[in-house]
Amino acid sequence: MNGIHDIGGHHGYGPVIVEANEPNFHEVWEGRMLSMMIGCFAAGVYNVDQFRHPIEKMDPRHYLLSSYYEKWLCTVEQNCIDTGIVTRDEVDARHKQLIEGKVT
Amino acid sequence: MQVVDKKNLLIPEVGLRVKALESLLAEKGVIDPAALDLIVETFETQMGPKNGAKVVAKAWTDPDYKKWLLRDGTAAIGKLGYIGVQGENMVVVANTPDVHNVVVCTLCSCYPWPTLGLPPIWFKSAPYRSRVVIEPRAVLGEFGVAVSDETEVRVWDSTAELRYLVMPMRPAGTEGFTEEKLAELVTRDSMIGTGLAKSPG
Amino acid sequence: MNMLTPALVLTVLGTGDPARVNEPVPAKLHVGDKVKIRNLNPASHNRLPSYIKGKLGTVTFDHGVFVFPDTSAHRNGPKPQHVYTVVFTAAELWGPNGHPSDRIYVDVWDDYVDLAN
Repeated sequence: MNGIHDIGGHHGYGPVIVEANEPNFHEVWEGRMLSMMIGCFAAGVYNVDQFRHPIEKMDPRHYLLSSYYEKWLCTVEQNCIDTGIVTRDEVDARHKQLIEGKVT
Repeated sequence: MQVVDKKNLLIPEVGLRVKALESLLAEKGVIDPAALDLIVETFETQMGPKNGAKVVAKAWTDPDYKKWLLRDGTAAIGKLGYIGVQGENMVVVANTPDVHNVVVCTLCSCYPWPTLGLPPIWFKSAPYRSRVVIEPRAVLGEFGVAVSDETEVRVWDSTAELRYLVMPMRPAGTEGFTEEKLAELVTRDSMIGTGLAKSPG
Repeated sequence: MNMLTPALVLTVLGTGDPARVNEPVPAKLHVGDKVKIRNLNPASHNRLPSYIKGKLGTVTFDHGVFVFPDTSAHRNGPKPQHVYTVVFTAAELWGPNGHPSDRIYVDVWDDYVDLAN
């Protein structure tokens, strides 16, 4: 698809910004997201092509503004919904519970 | 896909949503949190550019290995044990006085994990991905890599499942160095192409 | 569900996703061929960057047979086919702004490319 991800040769994104001595994960949840992606891959939820496509289909503004591992959350969650493992409502509900501190 | 609120384009409390998904998947027997712990630990301790540096240092000291590496990167890197996820099919491209190589994935973030570890944010971000295919010399200049007009710059866009590793040129003044000492000069950026190997001393 | 257990983590990390397919699918193209990238614009998944569509290049390598992402992403089967590296001059891709000594190498599937006339 001719998505926002297809940016080779585009202008306007500015200079390359480098963080010196960057850690693998800036937050603990990023490491959990990486490992969950691999765990789901190993469990057969998706292959690499099925993993990539939902990222390309993100709202372009969300794609441009989100962090890398937030994109991974979007596609892993979408793939789990598409394959019938969870529903959006279930994830929303558990997310809400955690935000409200009801479940640790 | 999720409906995006114009005011709130990002997922609120994204870390908690990751936790929410992980807990649900664990309850449904899709993932084992202990396995996830081990994956994180493996990435933090075993995968990283030190692996790629060993490959390069060996190629610098062993001409037969270098020939093999450039002809069949997968087999030669596999011999050292650095083939695996997002590094199943490897191609090694050598810098020479006439050719400078640099690697990108314009479409996403493809990167050889077993030899280089996880990619830095800049490699995965819009400025690098968009600019290095159209103005590589300007991008290299921002990284402090100067190339003459006569030097051929080769940009490799990892659009398929081949993963590219640049073999930087061996720095002058390293005659007689052991592989271990040479490996210390091979930086992560030199194996992407946005840097050169360090000079000794 | 084949849940990944700790015991299998290192094996999985060491194996990855074998996109390469062991099938004797014939190659349409050969190293040295002058080729033209197809102008494909599906709304579905592909790995064809827009900046090479319709452009002329030269095949520099045949990597063998791989899963085709356009079908694989939509659970429509692997449709295994050859993947080639094609080299483009910067002038071909970017016009007068392209540096004469720049070359851009892109990996493409057989279905993305034809022999140039």
